[in-house]
Amino acid sequence: MTARTPKNNAAPQIPPIHGESFLRMSWRVIKAKPTRVIGLVIIVVFALMGIFGPLLYPHNLPINPNAIYAPPSLRYPLGTDFEGTSNLALVITGARYVLFAALMAALFTVVFGTGIGLLSGYLIGTTDTVLMRITDFILTIPGFPLLVVLSTVWNFGQPVAMGFVLGITGWGGLARAVRSQTLSLRERGFIEAARGLGLPGWHIVFFEILPNMGPYIAMNLLVSITGAIYAEVGLFYLGVVPFHVNNWGVMLNLAVFTGGAMESAKALPYLLSPLVAILLLTLGVVLFLDALDEIFNPRLREAA
Amino acid sequence: MREAIRLIKRLIGGALMVLIVATFTFFLVRLMPGNPVQAAYNTLITRGMTPVQAANEVRVMYGFMPHESLWAQYVHYLNQLIHFNLGQSISYEGVSVLHIVLSAAPWTITLVLSGVVASFLLGVTAGVVAAMKRSSGMGSVLTVSGSLLHGIPQFVMALLLAFVFTTLWPIFPFGAPYGGALTPGFNLPFIGSLAFHAVLPVVAYALSSYGGWLLTMKSSVVSVMGDDFVLAAELRGLKPSIRFGYIARNAILPLFTIFALSLGFMFGGSVFIENIFDYNGLGNLLLTSINNRDYPLMTGAFLLITIAVILSNIVADFLYTAVDPRIRRP
Amino acid sequence: MNASEPYSAAVGAGITIRNLTVTYHTDRGIFPALKDVSLDIRPQTITGFIGESGSGKTTLAMAIMNAIRTPGLIASGSIYTDGVGDVLKLQGESLRRVHGQHFGFVFQASSNSLNPLKRIGAQLLDLGRSHGIKDPRILLKEARALAERMGMDGDRVLTSYQHELSGGMRQRAGIIFALVLRAKVVILDEPTTALDMLSQQAVLEIIRQIHEERGLTSIIITHDMGVMAEIVQRVVVLYAGRVVEEGPTQDLLQRPRHPYTKGLIDAIPRITGDLAEAKPLAGSPPDLATVPTQGCVFRDRCSLRRPVCDLVEPLAQPAHGDGLVTCHGVNAHD
Repeated sequence: MTARTPKNNAAPQIPPIHGESFLRMSWRVIKAKPTRVIGLVIIVVFALMGIFGPLLYPHNLPINPNAIYAPPSLRYPLGTDFEGTSNLALVITGARYVLFAALMAALFTVVFGTGIGLLSGYLIGTTDTVLMRITDFILTIPGFPLLVVLSTVWNFGQPVAMGFVLGITGWGGLARAVRSQTLSLRERGFIEAARGLGLPGWHIVFFEILPNMGPYIAMNLLVSITGAIYAEVGLFYLGVVPFHVNNWGVMLNLAVFTGGAMESAKALPYLLSPLVAILLLTLGVVLFLDALDEIFNPRLREAA
Repeated sequence: MREAIRLIKRLIGGALMVLIVATFTFFLVRLMPGNPVQAAYNTLITRGMTPVQAANEVRVMYGFMPHESLWAQYVHYLNQLIHFNLGQSISYEGVSVLHIVLSAAPWTITLVLSGVVASFLLGVTAGVVAAMKRSSGMGSVLTVSGSLLHGIPQFVMALLLAFVFTTLWPIFPFGAPYGGALTPGFNLPFIGSLAFHAVLPVVAYALSSYGGWLLTMKSSVVSVMGDDFVLAAELRGLKPSIRFGYIARNAILPLFTIFALSLGFMFGGSVFIENIFDYNGLGNLLLTSINNRDYPLMTGAFLLITIAVILSNIVADFLYTAVDPRIRRP
Repeated sequence: MNASEPYSAAVGAGITIRNLTVTYHTDRGIFPALKDVSLDIRPQTITGFIGESGSGKTTLAMAIMNAIRTPGLIASGSIYTDGVGDVLKLQGESLRRVHGQHFGFVFQASSNSLNPLKRIGAQLLDLGRSHGIKDPRILLKEARALAERMGMDGDRVLTSYQHELSGGMRQRAGIIFALVLRAKVVILDEPTTALDMLSQQAVLEIIRQIHEERGLTSIIITHDMGVMAEIVQRVVVLYAGRVVEEGPTQDLLQRPRHPYTKGLIDAIPRITGDLAEAKPLAGSPPDLATVPTQGCVFRDRCSLRRPVCDLVEPLAQPAHGDGLVTCHGVNAHD
């Protein structure tokens, strides 16, 4: 066993390629591995599905009493559900709520997490102690059961409402990470200099410290989106949230609890369609995260 | 002595958290649209009870009187809570919530802890291998498997496992924590059946957090391997096995700090996994209580899940202090 | 060297380096970090390696111990040391035993060369176990004696964790680890950087005394001319992976031949004298990717540059009596 990452001993620094724009560098990193390109393609396809999916189909998807739980065919590429509706159409039209709510959730998570982390790390002292106590509390409370309990009073019909609750229960980890980065940044020379110049605190926080954490926060946004997708689909799957709209979780719930997909094979395509959609999206994000990692942490390039 | 004081401090902190959670659920139920407390009272009246009888009955269920002020109700509720009285279940008529949740808790805790231990051991071992062999094919395969498993949501994992191993290839039993014909007790067939029924749920827990441990351990090992003292150990000619011990022990430490997150995640997952495998634990109890509008039971189940997470966190925290001399106070 | 008897009398060993080339392999190409280095390290002397960062002084020290790690690679050359033979031919167990028993390496004071989770005594026992010491008590006794020799409380050091020691104490603990197996060659990497002036003096004094008592061969890596002048007996000047000058300290400092050495000496501000007299060296050292592949590597910063420097890499010629200098602009016989 040998250590392959020389940290301070005889590690020559090869200078980076200068004068390269961020986008160009990102594309170069993504292109370097085909898996990353696949990841990006999957994410783009799902995003398009969320934006344009519902436009491809009539508001009420056609039902077909002659093709209930039909197996996959040319007409129904993923089979049909208990009413004879195409599973493919259900997956595509269901993507909008799922993805939009997840995006909202990620935005709320990032806003709360970054805001609280920055405040805590910049103001330190009592504010920091209090905010970190709250953060620890949020981190300790088992999030999913809390969502289940909240579902008794909160109306999750609107994606924004769903996103808000997911955000407010999920910001703990990010707040902690942002806080510790803020703490280390505020000791750096340029922050000291800004303070010495008498710049106001909000200026230092938003224009000096925040931009330095941009990449980290961007990565967290993507991770939060997937986390939120799992949580909301899970809530719908469990059936604790009223089924206002068609989405993947509702499909899973109906397939398992009314379709009997666990006992018989006929409802299987109905169960597998949303499952495969979730797994595919997961795969896309996992593959793409690898590229983000390298774009934002150039050090990884030599460690690999 | 210092350790004892620290433990007491942690326990007080934990009790405070429980208090906050209890307060939250109290107001949640009390301010719920449709006011379930008033609704329960009304139902009892329509069953022909006198207002006094009905009010007393509601008090037994929720721990406070329906007509008191909100504040008085809250004080009464807390008073009951301090005496470990969580009220009475509505759906299981006349049974105390404490009794129901306490009999459900062992199922959840056993499954979750087995899952945590299994995933931790597997993930850490695989993480070390992935770090050591990271330029080889096996390292990449392990890392990718870790990322994928880390990405798959718990309930999808459980559904897939249930589908593959109970429907596609019916190797493992489905539903109920043990065979119906057996008498519960300390006998071999019963324990064997328990273990057999627990395999799939434990695997579901383990697989859902294995990837996280693997990835964290891998990056931790890679980072420790770049530390000066590892190079120093090599230049001093320490045996590979001793060097490995140095790396492993240092690399595993940061993992304790994410135990808190992991435990919340695992106990939270009980809602899915117990539901999918039809296991009578706290998670399933929480769900059925919500579906039955049994709010005292819901509150009790949620409180107990929270307490389980808080206690496990305190244990993990003390384990951490035991292995890292730097945070031991002189 | 007999591996089972690490306590044979410690006598400094000489080192003979011939045509050593070390390359770094990156995704942007292969770069030489040391190019065709030939050098004799004399037994029982203190030799200093001096140069700017990136000059290859640490790489050279690592190569002497055959401890270059990826992406670096020893491309060619040989390194003979008394009692071991060609270090570059060793691998596996025999190389491991040489580390610690023949070579002792002392890390910079600023780096943490000790396992943070184990008491220092326990780590010494690990060291003993790795090198087949039968009686750990002898080892601990030796370590305690060394600690006390360096002005520390032996028992306290052995029962401490790294984080309980100050920077200067850690540095001395590192020296214990390098010496406790009676290594014959001790290599110290920047032994005084990150220490305050008084600790610097104390550490240098300890190094000198132990060097003499044990008859060691010592190598000190530094960029600090003051350290050089203070305790080093012979100086090796490195620039861009080449040895540009070598010789006895006094002669080399008073009559530097290579323009780079001159520049280094002129750059030191004196306590007595005008600060303006200190002349920083013009230009900056090349990094691995920008080292010229043809001609003299120093020519862009050189005051003696002539046409031949662009085309031909200078060869070593004798200087300072038994030393050498590598420069077209220096006439060996003047």
